[in-house]
Amino acid sequence: MDVPFVKQTLDNGLDVIVHEDHGCPIVAVNIWYHVGSKNERPGRTGFAHLFEHLMFEGSEHHDRGYFHPLQQAGAAVNGSTNADRTNYWEVVPTNALELALWMESDRMGYLLPALTPEKFEHQRDVVLNERRQSYENRPYGMVGMATMAALYPPDHPYHWTTIGSAADLRAAEYDDIRSFFRMFYHPGNASLTLAGDIEASEGIALAKRYFEDIPAGAPVSRVTVEESTLPADTRLVLEDRVERPRLYLAWHAPRLFAPGDAELDVLADVLSNGKASRLYKTLVQELRIATDVSATQWSRELSGVFQIVATAAPGRVLAELDEVITAELGRLQAEGPTLVELERSLAQVEAHFVYRLQTVGGFGGKSDQLNGYNMVVADPGYFDTDLARYCDVTADGVRGVVGRHLTRARRVAVSAVPRGSAHVALPGSVGAMVS
Amino acid sequence: MTVDRSRVPSVGPDPTFVFPTASRTTLPNGLDVRTIQHRKMPVVSALLLLRCGAASDPAGQAGLASLTAALLDEGTRVRTGLEVSECFGRLGAQFDVDAGMDATMVRLTTLARVAGDGLSLLAELVREPRFDTGAFDRVRALRLDQLAQLREVAPVIADRTFARLLYGRQPYGHLPFGTEGGVRTLARDDIVRFHAQCYRPTLATLIVVGDGSHENLAGMAAEAFASWAGASEASEPVGGHSEVAADPPRLVVVDRPGAVQSELRIGHVAVSRDTPDYFPLLVLNMALGGQFTSRINLNLREDKGYTYGVRSAFDFRRRPGPFLVQTAVETAATSASIREVLDEIRAVRDGRPVTRLELERALTGLTRGYPRGFETAEQVARGLAQVALHGLPDDHFSQFRRCVAAVSVADVAQVARDHLDPGRLSAVIVGDRAAVSAAVAEVGLGPPTAFDLA
Repeated sequence: MDVPFVKQTLDNGLDVIVHEDHGCPIVAVNIWYHVGSKNERPGRTGFAHLFEHLMFEGSEHHDRGYFHPLQQAGAAVNGSTNADRTNYWEVVPTNALELALWMESDRMGYLLPALTPEKFEHQRDVVLNERRQSYENRPYGMVGMATMAALYPPDHPYHWTTIGSAADLRAAEYDDIRSFFRMFYHPGNASLTLAGDIEASEGIALAKRYFEDIPAGAPVSRVTVEESTLPADTRLVLEDRVERPRLYLAWHAPRLFAPGDAELDVLADVLSNGKASRLYKTLVQELRIATDVSATQWSRELSGVFQIVATAAPGRVLAELDEVITAELGRLQAEGPTLVELERSLAQVEAHFVYRLQTVGGFGGKSDQLNGYNMVVADPGYFDTDLARYCDVTADGVRGVVGRHLTRARRVAVSAVPRGSAHVALPGSVGAMVS
Repeated sequence: MTVDRSRVPSVGPDPTFVFPTASRTTLPNGLDVRTIQHRKMPVVSALLLLRCGAASDPAGQAGLASLTAALLDEGTRVRTGLEVSECFGRLGAQFDVDAGMDATMVRLTTLARVAGDGLSLLAELVREPRFDTGAFDRVRALRLDQLAQLREVAPVIADRTFARLLYGRQPYGHLPFGTEGGVRTLARDDIVRFHAQCYRPTLATLIVVGDGSHENLAGMAAEAFASWAGASEASEPVGGHSEVAADPPRLVVVDRPGAVQSELRIGHVAVSRDTPDYFPLLVLNMALGGQFTSRINLNLREDKGYTYGVRSAFDFRRRPGPFLVQTAVETAATSASIREVLDEIRAVRDGRPVTRLELERALTGLTRGYPRGFETAEQVARGLAQVALHGLPDDHFSQFRRCVAAVSVADVAQVARDHLDPGRLSAVIVGDRAAVSAAVAEVGLGPPTAFDLA
């Protein structure tokens, strides 16, 4: 992979990465703060994401809303929060690069003087509406919360989801913002990438100019966790406003880049990527007992989750789907994927590594990837090492991860079923508590 | 050097950017081929534009265009569906089909080194699909099941109801995905007939953008598609347009008992893509509701906190598409939100037209942001598909910014008067009827009407 970059850490601890791509007269400005919902505490979930909203409400020297000057300059602007990190980005025409750096540095250095209880209350309402729109009023929208809560113990940082609980959001206090900002939003806990039509030396100089006066903060200690194991086969049922029962199977899996992570990605491909994949072929095409199926390795910093999701065809119960899925996993554990399957998966992985390099900015663009590698393995140029993991995957390796991680005895199965249809859930399921 | 924080930096002169222009050739079979060299990455993106979409669905067969498209990768004369899928996998290809209102687009992106193989497979899919009976039955059953699942997806219920409300049983009256009633009537023969009528080189444009010269890209296209003859005896596509239903109900509530939000659609039938007012309307919409900093979003989200977000759009189609505002709001804020939206539309037309400052912001946002859409081969291919579909001039990309920049405050005021009609606005609410009915009856659209989608 050809993604040359220059990286320099400023005196205040800010990592600055610049990648030149002169294909289009635009520059991606992308900042990752190493804070997410994993840094929250029980009873105050959802705070990291609520805080992200406040970052768009103005800072000391531009206390009028973040979007105006940038959209006017032709920028795309967004941000997102997940369990591990919060990111903010602009994609600007080259002539607006300094504007974007000014805006980003102002909110990194001078957010608190512009904050008010009114802004806080207001964005809390917006976030509660986001929660209604994206989770509460959406079919199967609450399953993720039930799954994570069952997979991880209550004090584990992945026990809750990033949107948080509505009660916690209502309980969030204005005064908590200051300490949260001071703890996490400072140069030493951030990584800034500029990618696009800019010289590397100029990028470094501009980053220094706008960010080096911002004082360093106290080092943030990494969140660590004990490796958690599930004591038993956990079966939950969630009655929801849905038309069809859907089965969500989840297992603990290796964290991002750990041994076994790439094997589980390949396994997910073999199981459900495309119409020639194993589960699609058996469940949807041959037996016709499911209408869709997907398998995903969600690998994150502290721990991964491997998940298989399938929706029952009319008249089918979820136990039928479970039997077929479990049998297929058993077959893969015994025999491994075929050489043809492995080759196909690798061809797709290689192509997607290239496709991912087509954009400099936005979610998933090159600037996001450089920051991601930098945050997790302290090496923005990790592309080739990352890709090599997939080239090294063998059939035996895939057999191994199935045996080690995907056992029925240590699994969370959530049956999401239409209201009043608890009988189509997996036998032995107990009601999930979500709100 | 200390940063001057007394004001935000000004933006310097716009960087130069040479917008791409397509090279065109026509194959002996009549296929219009347009190519653009895009050398940024070793990738080629192909897009076959077929000028038939859901608006060509025959009466009673809502979903035919979409189901036909969904069956393309289920097998060809010489390859089973499974083999097609394995082939895409080996190529590392990204394949998808998108049946829209006016057109069907079949898209394929591959690495440049296998682009020839990708194009050949693409040609095979559209030229000689198998439409195997077993696959047809299965895909139709899956579609019916997906449609059943969509009964619980509030935004989809709102979109479907709004389309039906505005267009009745006219071609734009259903979503491309179809209806349960329509899909249930479809037989394999309908698919075969629709394919013969619509999948023909003379009705299509093939767009190839990527890492290769025009000769190289066009050569691959010709090799792959030269033998595509299309059905010889086929009549022109069915469907066809008649004018829209007169006087739709003004206020419709679709009941979703206990819903925590109301999904809203507010609008009326507006203009087609070929309107001479296209550019002023783009600018008007940017000021009114097209982006985060537009009036309606600042009002409903940033000032009131009723919603996570709200946007407006003129949906420019080959025939008059809707102007619409769409959002989801907290149930308790339903009537207040509708009232605010109606007020904003009235205001931008009559009381509080777009100001010089708003115009300036909208113009610069549109023009300075425009080059961003030319970063990837796929983006360029999609842009070119709009040019081909709507018969825009070959230099559309390079003229865009000049046309936007020429829009004046007076132009925007004029098109707001001409194309926004507060007296014709209809609102669809998908939400808790018992909780919202009394209050929404007071927003000025008359009493809520029940509306049967079936």
